[in-house]
Amino acid sequence: MKLRFWGVRGSIPAPGPETIRYGGNTACVSIQTRAGGLVILDMGTGLMHLGNALLAGTLTAGPTSDAFRAGRGAATILLSHTHWDHIQGLGFFTPVFVAGNSFTVWGPGGSPEVLEEILEGQMDPNFSPLQTLKNFSARFDVKAAPLDAVFSAEGLDVVARPHAHGATTALAFRITERGEPGRAARTFVYASDVGQPEDRGPDPAAIAFYRGADVLLHDTTYRPADQATRRNRGFSSYEDAAAAAVAAGVGRLVTFHYDQDYSDDEVDDVVARCRRSLDDRGGQAIGLVPAREGDELEI
Amino acid sequence: MKVRFWGVRGSIPVPGRATCRYGGNTSCVEVRPKGGAPIIIDAGTGLRRLGKALMEEAFGDGRGAASILISHTHWDHVQGLPFFSPLYRAGNQIQIFARERDTHLEAVFSQQHGAPYFPVPLSAMQADMAFHALTEGARFELGRAKITSTRLNHPWIALAYRIEVDGAALVYCADTAPFTDLLLGTEFVVQAPSLDAPLPPDTAAELARMRAGVIALAAGADLLIYDTQFTLAEYRLRPHWGHSHPDDAIAIARAAGAKRLCLYHHAPMRSDDDNDAILATYQGVVAQTGDRFEVISAYEGLELSLGDE
Repeated sequence: MKLRFWGVRGSIPAPGPETIRYGGNTACVSIQTRAGGLVILDMGTGLMHLGNALLAGTLTAGPTSDAFRAGRGAATILLSHTHWDHIQGLGFFTPVFVAGNSFTVWGPGGSPEVLEEILEGQMDPNFSPLQTLKNFSARFDVKAAPLDAVFSAEGLDVVARPHAHGATTALAFRITERGEPGRAARTFVYASDVGQPEDRGPDPAAIAFYRGADVLLHDTTYRPADQATRRNRGFSSYEDAAAAAVAAGVGRLVTFHYDQDYSDDEVDDVVARCRRSLDDRGGQAIGLVPAREGDELEI
Repeated sequence: MKVRFWGVRGSIPVPGRATCRYGGNTSCVEVRPKGGAPIIIDAGTGLRRLGKALMEEAFGDGRGAASILISHTHWDHVQGLPFFSPLYRAGNQIQIFARERDTHLEAVFSQQHGAPYFPVPLSAMQADMAFHALTEGARFELGRAKITSTRLNHPWIALAYRIEVDGAALVYCADTAPFTDLLLGTEFVVQAPSLDAPLPPDTAAELARMRAGVIALAAGADLLIYDTQFTLAEYRLRPHWGHSHPDDAIAIARAAGAKRLCLYHHAPMRSDDDNDAILATYQGVVAQTGDRFEVISAYEGLELSLGDE
């Protein structure tokens, strides 16, 4: 699996000279599978740039881009939850305007009808000139992610689990690329927008869900002092992320979903403190990868 | 009055190196009559920073009052509202003006500001909020400022506003298509129509009325802020998107006798260098045609003084 970060910011896009190193776009991560498949995590404003790169051929040279340009492309989108910063790129994702392309969205809530209605709400004529999802040219199937079974996304095995996100929940995804002779299976966990309403330490069920992952991408919205005054918003601090990574014995930890008010220098500080927190907790062997727009990560 | 641009971008915010100078935030302009409460036009993502600045003033103590004029409720004109800090402080008074809809305006705004899209519902805002539905052509006063409005040519219909105070007039025209090729309303236009086909007489007359309304609104304006999301070539490919281009904006400014034209609502993928080039081109055009108005281009942080300060 090869990850690429298209949007790493939380809550609302944060343009400006002070955010250009980490990037100001909201949540979107792509996974290119070894077999050439494309899985997309969340649909923040980063999705527009992913779509443009896909059609321009700068994401993957060769078959994938050709297919999306010719209307023969297919991809799976895993949606953690429907807060704006996770869906606001959808109307600007140009491959949905190419007839013949096909997208499957697996999202939260347990009901495909309800989820589709929520996504329709974003296209309501009061808010969007598109007026309805039905004006997409591509096929766009909305499905409810099962919570008790493995499902398949472009050949990857996916398990979804609702995590506390303040007063509500967001899905975390555990994604495994199966091994083959001479190559071990690899597991990536995406856990953005997780945060308990009170400080109760790591959630044992969540730790079990992360256990042994090669890479854990975990919400690191806040420094602890900022989290303390905004606990009800349902985001993690870098301390929460480091504690989870050590408890679950993961290989590498990716920081993600930085607060919209943090400058690049402040995010540098979050990353440095996260490294120290891992070390202090006995996680010296855990690699730390700060998510930055445009960066790739091979798993 | 003082005018400050907090968001100048159309459609979607675009962070990144290529947009740092003009800025990547969506539509938001602050107008400050001398000694008066702020009048804010549009609530795109630029509103977040404006809200932080206001919290340094009376709004931080819950003693602030502001009016927000919404051109229309497309995302790029309202998506900053849930991040407007003064709403979260009791005592502040925020009134929102927008064109009337079939449903109550508060219901329209509640739809974006609450579950399942945002963690905090609009009803939980601490500030006093009031919503005022405007009919087309509405005229009203905010303190000493006189506000007038007219309809624009945009899908689901947008309003242009004129603010007159301190001996000067500012006119805000976003979002609108030119008034020559296609009448945009509540119908969804699937495909770009042929621009060479003659218009039905009713449509042509309606567009002509709308154009006359905009020219009257902008008459003698000290500053005309105009939707120039497209170049002329781009407009010809997407006339049904409801945006204009500098050639059309210049024609309107000329007809209205405006004193300064400000290019605004820049396309998301337009880089700073692209915007520089467009500005230079049209400053050249205006120099050649002998027009008396100046052409400028909006960027985040641009501050202008109009009339008596």
